Amino acid sequence: MGVTTERQDNTLIAKTEGRIDGANAREFQDALDAAIDSSERQVVLDLEEVSYISSAGLRVILLTAKSLQKQEAKFAVCSLSESIREIFEISGFDQIIAVHDSRDEAIDALKG
Amino acid sequence: MSAELRLKIETKRDELDRVSEIIENFGLQEDWPMDLVFKVNLALEEIVINVMNYGHDGGLHEVEINMTCEDGSLTIEVVDDGRPFDPLNDAPKPDVTAELENRDIGGLGIHIVRKMMSDVRYRREQGKNHLTMVTSIEK
Repeated sequence: MGVTTERQDNTLIAKTEGRIDGANAREFQDALDAAIDSSERQVVLDLEEVSYISSAGLRVILLTAKSLQKQEAKFAVCSLSESIREIFEISGFDQIIAVHDSRDEAIDALKG
Repeated sequence: MSAELRLKIETKRDELDRVSEIIENFGLQEDWPMDLVFKVNLALEEIVINVMNYGHDGGLHEVEINMTCEDGSLTIEVVDDGRPFDPLNDAPKPDVTAELENRDIGGLGIHIVRKMMSDVRYRREQGKNHLTMVTSIEK
């Protein structure tokens, strides 16, 4: 379970793909932790290529959101499939994490 | 028209991939919408992971998964020989409205299952946990 990163202006975009489940969530967490430096101020997690996520994966996203809040960084997720968006809503994650339809929209929102 | 799937897995995490593949094939065979495949995979993972994490003091155990599609509804039963655990009453209920800094890590799995399924029932029978989940098959 790898995480690739790109930078657009001052925003770090982290992206992963496939399934994030109880079997690989730990690996996802390690890869995400390694990708996000403590000096980052704006981070977008792009879920466009993620086909499935369970509570084990949500846990990693919540931990990331918490740790970014501590370092006073802005955080958003983008490009969720309909099913993943529904899980976000059921879990109340859409109330505490900014969710955007596209990467560009997320980057614009973090800039503002 | 009815269809059944009976499956036995072991309490180890790499079984999750095998389960998801089997569910995907069963969903294709039964012409399920994609979001139902997602939902069934998710509900099964949450329940099975719970058994793996808390059901036993160690060792490999067997979990039975039985599915029946009938009259537009899908019934999933998960049977395990772990310690008695009624997810409807014994699982902590997460506060899904708390602010980010106060949000608890974990406890979400059972909450998601309850929200996604139209009915969830538990019974303990002959030393085994039986969890039954029902959802409609919308085309």
